[in-house]
Amino acid sequence: MTPAAAKDVSDIGAATAPRAEQRLLARLADLSQRLAVSIDLEETLSQVAELIADSMDAEGSAVFLIDEQQGRIVCRACAGPIDIRGLSLRMDQGLVGRAITRRECEIVADAASDPDFAGRELKSNGGFVTRSVLTAPIMTSEGVIGALQVLNRRGGAPFDSDDADALRLLAAPTALALNHARLSEALLSSNRIRRELTMARRLQRSLLPKRRRGGFPIRALNFPAREISGDFYDFFELADGRIAFTVGDVAGKGLDASFLMVRCASLLRWAGKEGLSPSLWLERANNELLEAIAPGMFVCAVAGYFDPYSQRAVWANAGFPPLLRVDRDGEFQRFDAEGPPLGILAGLRYPQQEAALDGAALYLFSDGLTDVRGDDGQVLGIEGVQTAVSEMRQLPAEARLRALVRRLRRMSVTDDTTLMVIEPESDLLLRIEFAPQPHALQPMRHAADACLAALGVDSGLRASLVLALDEACANVIRHGFGGGCSDGRVELVIAREPGGLRFVLSDSAAGVDPSTVRPRDLDECRPGGLGVSFIDALMDSWQITPIASGGNRLLMRKRWPKQAACTVAESTHQGPSAL
Amino acid sequence: MNQCQTEQQSEFTVVRLAGEVDLSWSAEVRRAVLSALAGSDKVGVHLGEVSYIDSSGIAALVEGFQNARGRGQTFVLIAASDPVRAVLRLARLDRVFELVEALPESRPG
Repeated sequence: MTPAAAKDVSDIGAATAPRAEQRLLARLADLSQRLAVSIDLEETLSQVAELIADSMDAEGSAVFLIDEQQGRIVCRACAGPIDIRGLSLRMDQGLVGRAITRRECEIVADAASDPDFAGRELKSNGGFVTRSVLTAPIMTSEGVIGALQVLNRRGGAPFDSDDADALRLLAAPTALALNHARLSEALLSSNRIRRELTMARRLQRSLLPKRRRGGFPIRALNFPAREISGDFYDFFELADGRIAFTVGDVAGKGLDASFLMVRCASLLRWAGKEGLSPSLWLERANNELLEAIAPGMFVCAVAGYFDPYSQRAVWANAGFPPLLRVDRDGEFQRFDAEGPPLGILAGLRYPQQEAALDGAALYLFSDGLTDVRGDDGQVLGIEGVQTAVSEMRQLPAEARLRALVRRLRRMSVTDDTTLMVIEPESDLLLRIEFAPQPHALQPMRHAADACLAALGVDSGLRASLVLALDEACANVIRHGFGGGCSDGRVELVIAREPGGLRFVLSDSAAGVDPSTVRPRDLDECRPGGLGVSFIDALMDSWQITPIASGGNRLLMRKRWPKQAACTVAESTHQGPSAL
Repeated sequence: MNQCQTEQQSEFTVVRLAGEVDLSWSAEVRRAVLSALAGSDKVGVHLGEVSYIDSSGIAALVEGFQNARGRGQTFVLIAASDPVRAVLRLARLDRVFELVEALPESRPG
């Protein structure tokens, strides 16, 4: 600027004061408007730097923000001949530090003579000489968040108190805009985290088995306390017809618990596919889990099988809450864990437990269920679960589970909560267990005959069925147990199913090769091998399945004779398959 | 209630069975039938009091029948009860065995 021009400015100074104010107001309005629509922090900062320099007629400007984490003041944006972005000062350093500490506008006419001026330490100033400096703190409701600085008023005159007022005025919308941008950024980042959590939850839920309809005996539910869960459940069918099930609760909540949950759930599924006994299953999972588990983390879990044919569940329990068996009369049986949680120590044992589930349901629930609090602030506890289940026991399985869920939702759930119910739907008529010895056959026959008589099956068909059962049991005793032994076990289950009856004979003998059990031609007259032929002739279908964890299952089916389909009870006519 | 008695009825040695013939004692039935055949050329098994018979009991009868035929002996089933007849029918042995209601007073040897 020439001295003449400078003179002009100073000459008209007084007269143009209102015009300057008008211009400032226009700038303020402009700044406010532009900042109002800016939500990107970096963009807002550089806009502020440009607008401030322009409005204040300054050669340069800078926006400093306090970096809370580092406890320093950092230049985040600037306008003018030198780029000082990234310049980092102590909280009490420089003219900026002084303005922030005092929370006041600092007017410095000659920076060179001010001891606090930090600019002189800059290694390269590109020939720019700082003369007059004006610094205003940026104040928000949360306190000072930074400072605005303008350098060298164009025309050479130093900044004065009017300029200080103007900069303070401009700092106000800047503070608002920065706050706005910071909030937007925080919101964006929390939205991003939420999206990622939603994906994690979806991934986690995709690991849970899909709900099955059509009388499938296992139903389960899981309510995570947060977005993601440390609980899991699983069920899947094995080739031998049994349904494997697992329920688990990983210690802790949140992300690390969820990762461990995913790992443990897949580990149990992998180990369960082999059909190992529940004890071996958990032993293997425990040893595997120990190879990589963070100290202090552990998993409480139950793993077992439900055999829909014998309607019996076997399981092993590693530190999980007790299982409850509830029968139709509301009688409870409680099975406490007999093994410690998984992931603590190698080589631990998990004893097998079991329960017959004819006319009964087995409840498995994580401690999230017993820990829910009612209106009275009291935790539900196992007794509370018993009461709830007992009150609802007359409801059909599906409705009962829904009612339990409704009751839970009214209470405050503080932990991940998982509930599994194993409940066979079919109508079991008889279950008898006996030693694999020939003298056990007669009581078995009489029990089966009485059961069929009570059902109204006519004597001819009854004789056929009893003979087939006797032959089947005799074969098990002869071939499975070498003629008889005292420590084995045979179990016969008779159940009604649509259109007829189902007979299931389970034994604890060594696995047989089903292909070696065949009926022989009855037209040959020879003493042996008649038993299988009798079964084949008297039953509509039969099938032998070796069970992976030991023993065999013989499943036999008999359809009601056509003439008697509707009125078995009154039927006096011998069915076509009767003797 | 299960019974297995051997008695002499004119020229026949008769094994009289009663009760439910199953795996628990069919071996005893087999021994009785085979020992009767060892001592007599005419053997009858009385089945009138048998309320149940399984394949192991039938097998004992089949073995007796085959032994007798191989040695030209007479082997008859006497007064087979309905449950026994039903099982024989099932095993298609009702036309193989000689079934009689009662032993004749005297039969030509």
